[in-house]
Amino acid sequence: MDVLIQIVASGLTLGAMYAVATIGLSLVYGSLNMLNMAHGAILTLGGYICYAAIVHAGLHPALALLAAAFVCALVGLMIYFSAALPLLRAENFETNIFIATIGIGSVIENLMLKGFGPYPIPQPLAVDGQVVIGNVHIPLQNVFILGVAIVLMVGVAILLQRTSAGRAIRATSMNREAAQLMGVRVGRIYAQVLALSGALAAVSGIMISSIATLTPVMGGDPMLKAFIVCVVAGLGNVYGAVVAAIALGLLEAATQYVLGVRWSFATLLLLVILVLIWRPYGLFGKQQVVRL
Amino acid sequence: MTSIRRDILIGLVCLALAVALPFAMPGRYVITQSTLFFIWAIVVVQWNLVLGIGGIFSLAQMALFATGAYATAMLGFYWKVPMLAAIPMAGVITVAVGMLIGLACLRLRGPYVALLTLAIAQVMYVLIVNDTDCFTTTGGCMPLFGGVRGIGQFGDIGLRALFPSKWYVAHYYVGLALLAVAVTISIIVIRGPLGLAFRALRDNPGYAMSRGISRFKYQLWIFAVSAFFTGIAGGFYAIHFRVVGPTVFSFSTLLFLIAMIVIGGLGSIWGPLLGAAVLMLADEGMRELSDYRNIGLGLLLAVFVIAWPNGLNGWLQRSRASRN
Amino acid sequence: MAEATLEIVDASAGYAGRIVLDAIKLSARKGELTAIVGPNGHGKSTLLKAISGLVPVTSGEIYLDGLRIDRLRPDQIVERGVIQVPQGDLLFPAMTVHENLLMGAYANSDGLAERLDFVFTLLPKLKERRNQTAGTLSGGERRMCGIGRGLMAGGEVLMLDEPSLGLAPIVIEQIYEVIFNLRREGRTILLVEENAERIAEHADMIHLLDNGRIAWSGLGAELMARPEIVETYLGV
Ligand SMILES: Nc1ncnc2c1ncn2[C@@H]1O[C@H](COP(=O)(O)OP(=O)(O)O)[C@@H](O)[C@H]1O
Ligand SMILES: [Mg+2]
Repeated sequence: MDVLIQIVASGLTLGAMYAVATIGLSLVYGSLNMLNMAHGAILTLGGYICYAAIVHAGLHPALALLAAAFVCALVGLMIYFSAALPLLRAENFETNIFIATIGIGSVIENLMLKGFGPYPIPQPLAVDGQVVIGNVHIPLQNVFILGVAIVLMVGVAILLQRTSAGRAIRATSMNREAAQLMGVRVGRIYAQVLALSGALAAVSGIMISSIATLTPVMGGDPMLKAFIVCVVAGLGNVYGAVVAAIALGLLEAATQYVLGVRWSFATLLLLVILVLIWRPYGLFGKQQVVRL
Repeated sequence: MTSIRRDILIGLVCLALAVALPFAMPGRYVITQSTLFFIWAIVVVQWNLVLGIGGIFSLAQMALFATGAYATAMLGFYWKVPMLAAIPMAGVITVAVGMLIGLACLRLRGPYVALLTLAIAQVMYVLIVNDTDCFTTTGGCMPLFGGVRGIGQFGDIGLRALFPSKWYVAHYYVGLALLAVAVTISIIVIRGPLGLAFRALRDNPGYAMSRGISRFKYQLWIFAVSAFFTGIAGGFYAIHFRVVGPTVFSFSTLLFLIAMIVIGGLGSIWGPLLGAAVLMLADEGMRELSDYRNIGLGLLLAVFVIAWPNGLNGWLQRSRASRN
Repeated sequence: MAEATLEIVDASAGYAGRIVLDAIKLSARKGELTAIVGPNGHGKSTLLKAISGLVPVTSGEIYLDGLRIDRLRPDQIVERGVIQVPQGDLLFPAMTVHENLLMGAYANSDGLAERLDFVFTLLPKLKERRNQTAGTLSGGERRMCGIGRGLMAGGEVLMLDEPSLGLAPIVIEQIYEVIFNLRREGRTILLVEENAERIAEHADMIHLLDNGRIAWSGLGAELMARPEIVETYLGV
């Protein structure tokens, strides 16, 4: 019983972090058909900005979090204007933006390496204390992460479902041309989505670094997991991604307990490969009709 | 001049220059760096077939390279297979692994392929690095795949024994010969029926499919061909450096190689080779700035894709076209 | 004669270097139903896309109430009141009918409630289905949703691209009933249709599009009196 509580508690925390990391990625893919390979680097940048804002600038942690989200949103905008916008005018957008963002991600990552050094730094944005359920002690930090993640996800859901701007985002991802015929300025939607995705990445970077540590390469692993989640859910399916992220978190916690940390990632991947062979467009994805 | 004649001519000129290089610049450093260039050039030329001709967005090429290197090393280390047999065997093993990855990926659409292959490479890396159980204890604890330290002492192709002081020159020529074969194969694929089938599939998928050109079958073919030479290159890498470790999976190597292809010109015959040469030279020229190496590579990659998607090869062709 | 609301002056357009429309000249007058008729693949949809700004106009001009619109972005053209109901509906399949209608009013949400009422009165089926996802509608309902979505924009010119495409004859009649009613109310409509007979007697003006050129223009009733033209260009 205690083991179960332990697994569920850490699984939910992991899942919540993955979900926040994934939403942005999935939104961007959904509206632009763009796999943002710089996502991991942006996520890490969020962690470092928060650190720097608290330790060097002495900001209040809440303000530091906002500052990180803001800076990463700006990075998202920069990626739109410098890479996505020019590439959208040419052919092979999907392939080219993939390669371009690999380059951009490498630039951001190595700038952080120069700026902050290769050694792990603890994330100062942390809460002390723990809650006890049964015999299990759960750090308050995990509860806090879960709370923030839920607030963010509900916020994004309201934005997408209940506001005109959110509807325009969904419309653009369902049918770009139809959205244009409704008077949606798709370029602006793309910019908004990349900015939003950057801000969400920053928050997830802060969360992840708060239970691990900050290093310049820490974004790679969550990004890969976020990609796995996207792939399993079907690229661009935001709500499917949230479900898949939480499932992945629980699964990871369970395999870590049963098989040990060493084998958990391999097991997860094997599972993903099987899912993809079974359903090539993801669990919740629909096959795109290719017209000849 | 037909394009195939031009290719042969360019190839022969490059080959002649490369054969002459050790006489013109006999320094050991130049020779060994050139050998490394040959290895990366083989990988890049073969990867270009998958990426640029087959249109498969696979990032598994370094994983295949690693498969070839590890297979060679393990065959030598555990079964004492002579290296001259182990390297071709490693090529075959790499083809098998490549086909498996291909079967898992090729039904997927572009971006899914990229993610899945990236993940497969990552899982191989994680499995090797995290394995700390001793598989054998002869000569110290050693995990099955050598763990973080990698595998050494698996034998040699004998050139070090044959030419004790000039073995690196011998390796240079072996590398050059392998590259020449890899480039020849690449020309045959691009200019031959396989390339034609892919052009047909790209330009008119409906018609091509109605003529019985199956994308899946051809993609698997191109995957297998490129896996074979990538595996051989991995095997040669193993005996050249005498040790195989998990660093072959490093992201900066992947970045370096993908930048070679993009900067040279994706999908062209000579572009990737040109890109490899340019980046190797640039790397040499900017040794003191090595801290900024990955920043520079990242910038170059992004700038080329955005501003010059056809790479240096595109420039050359345009300037040739404007001269005519 | 009523003045021209939408005026296309020698406009050419195409895709990636291939010219599809060659110096098109026609106009849609205020409160009239202007029809563009022509066989499949002769550029009718391309013409509407060019007007909407989805396909660049390479030469010539397009005016709305005397102001040039052919250099504007698609969203700016919608904002000025030129609304298109595209061929094949292009609904947002994962959204409900209601959300689709709201998307129609994205660029212009003044008087949203009245317009929604208007659409629901005109197309009562949509009211029944308002909370159903658009992807699960039947063909006829989907078409109504597309037209309703177009009406939600409250634009000045309504362009309809083959509203009869792929529907059963009885549903086609219902759809045209709605369109002809809109005409009677005094809306400016630019209608694309493959089958001239279906609309000839209701159209104020008809333009025959043949291989990217206007081959014939005239009054609706006139066309039916000229069987040789119908035969040459429409092959009936
Ligand atoms: N997106 C496109 N890209 C290239 N060619 C197109 C595209 N859409 C239509 N065409 C071509 O333009 C011509 C006119 O098409 P269209 O305007 O759809 O005709 P219609 O609506 O009269 O059936 C056709 O030959 C068609 O193949
Ligand atoms: Mg049409």
